[in-house]
Amino acid sequence: MSEIFKRLFMSHRPANSKVSQLETSLNPTITLKKLRSYTPSLGDLCHYAFLGSVLLFVLIVYPAALILKLSVYVLFGVLFLLPATSQFFFNALPIFTWLALYFTSSTFEAKHRPPITVQVLPAIETILYGDNLSDILAASLNKPLDIFAWLPYGIFHFGAPFVVAIILFLCGPPTLLRGYAFAFGYMNLAGVIMQNLLPAAPPWYKIQYGLTPANYKMKGSPGGLKRIDEYLGISVYTEGFSNSAVIFGALPSLHSGCATMEALFFSYVFPKLKPLFIFYVCWLWWSTMYLTHHYFVDLMAGSVLSYTIFQYTKYFHLPLPEPSVYSRWSYADIKKFSVWQADPLNGDGGDLENLAVPLAVDTDFELNVMENSEPPSIFDQDRSVSRSSATSNTSADVQDDFVSAARPGKQRID
Amino acid sequence: MGVEIGLGITILNKCSGFYGILGLLTGHQLDFMQWVLYLTSVFTLVVYSLGLTTVYKPKLQTYAFVLLTFTADTLITCFFTLWFSGMWFAAKESELSDPSSATQQTSGGISSGSKLLTARGETLSSQSASQATEYFFTILVSLIALVSRFYFNFIILAFVQRLFRHPKYLVDQDDVDQDLKHKKLWQRWWIRAENWSYRVCHHYLA
Repeated sequence: MSEIFKRLFMSHRPANSKVSQLETSLNPTITLKKLRSYTPSLGDLCHYAFLGSVLLFVLIVYPAALILKLSVYVLFGVLFLLPATSQFFFNALPIFTWLALYFTSSTFEAKHRPPITVQVLPAIETILYGDNLSDILAASLNKPLDIFAWLPYGIFHFGAPFVVAIILFLCGPPTLLRGYAFAFGYMNLAGVIMQNLLPAAPPWYKIQYGLTPANYKMKGSPGGLKRIDEYLGISVYTEGFSNSAVIFGALPSLHSGCATMEALFFSYVFPKLKPLFIFYVCWLWWSTMYLTHHYFVDLMAGSVLSYTIFQYTKYFHLPLPEPSVYSRWSYADIKKFSVWQADPLNGDGGDLENLAVPLAVDTDFELNVMENSEPPSIFDQDRSVSRSSATSNTSADVQDDFVSAARPGKQRID
Repeated sequence: MGVEIGLGITILNKCSGFYGILGLLTGHQLDFMQWVLYLTSVFTLVVYSLGLTTVYKPKLQTYAFVLLTFTADTLITCFFTLWFSGMWFAAKESELSDPSSATQQTSGGISSGSKLLTARGETLSSQSASQATEYFFTILVSLIALVSRFYFNFIILAFVQRLFRHPKYLVDQDDVDQDLKHKKLWQRWWIRAENWSYRVCHHYLA
């Protein structure tokens, strides 16, 4: 087994390459030493302050014994301290924060929750997209379609994040998994915050109750997944969705957000398979409407949230995958996307004479900015990043080489 | 960066065209305005996708075409927003007044129950948004969508203007007047549309 693994993933490992190495030590002093020499940037401070605030909020609000809650926090603290576990758990902090807030959401008292909107989403759907698309697509039901809708919504959605994470870890460039955890966690965290601040009834509510006012005493509904329960003789979806943590959390659709995020990351690493990933997202969109769980506007909100966070992560954190390299162990160094060099309006087009054109003043300015202010990164790791000289603005290759060097001396605390 | 994000978000929204047309399979009839909206959505989706895939190596004619399409689409979107707002409010009136609607069928039980039941000292009816709140959020989200659209339009406009003024993207007139005889019909139309867009944009932006 290990021989097959080595042949598949490690046969092209460059000599003396350290970028794909994993920490195996369980000595917490290594982490503490790194922590002492760690200087956070402004971006890092915002990142940790935000996540820390949410976690503190959960610690105070979650209705459990304080000693129990503190024990969980201490356990995570230990996992963050041990280098071998820290490299995975600490980078997944946005995901843990999202999960903590999600499971706390069900405990919020009704008097502290905002009023539930029932008409906003169907109204927006009609105004922006010409009709109640979710109603129309759920108008004709049959068993094969039920199964076809159930697969992405009720099965793939729950396993896909783990499968994607494993494949990105094995096949993507080193540190890509960190970017995925960051983007996936923040997308879900932002989604749950939005669902709590703007509670809105899903399509199943309109089908059952019309536009009558909703209240927090009401149970959730499995929508079309009730038919799957009946086919299989189970009550998993009925029980799960009836007692959902965020019953009126239609906006945004995190099913859509997750599928979009997974498709974006897979397209980033396997661009040739992009049509397949687009198909998956479209399939999931259709299934959420067919099963009366979301309006089209919810799906768009989820996907737009994912797309925006993915773009941010791509611009400032993600390593660049190399074409035809499908193993993390094949990378000799890590190159990063440079938004400044990727800008087609930067540079001189490979022709020095063109610098005399007035617009070149702007160009020079932006390149200077680029050289002096590399965007802060919470993922940088000084030992593992290529110090490319691609910042030269006179090279004809620059436009095709969207590579930046990470800030020298930047350290990461895992 | 702005062009990539703006086009990406717009493309996601334009997928509605496929789902609107897919509704035909469930027996739903589309009226004329819905046909126009969904077909324009599909067409613009193709144009914007072409723009997005070439965002790092843009071709001036293509982006001139994207800009004009986006601008026309923005104006059409304003019109459709007003049109379908009227449609929604008409449908809502019908839902609230039709005795056979789900609203009428269930409102009796819900409203009478809400007067009796209380949750932590408040009536259950207070947990639902008032009609004013529903209107407020409906109008707010519609306005945000429209304002974002105009904002993205201006970003693309500024991008195309800078492309026109950048020496790297100077267009050879021979490229514009290229021989189209040996191209397929749709390619000829596409290239003509791009070239026409280039000339229009050149007139106003260069």
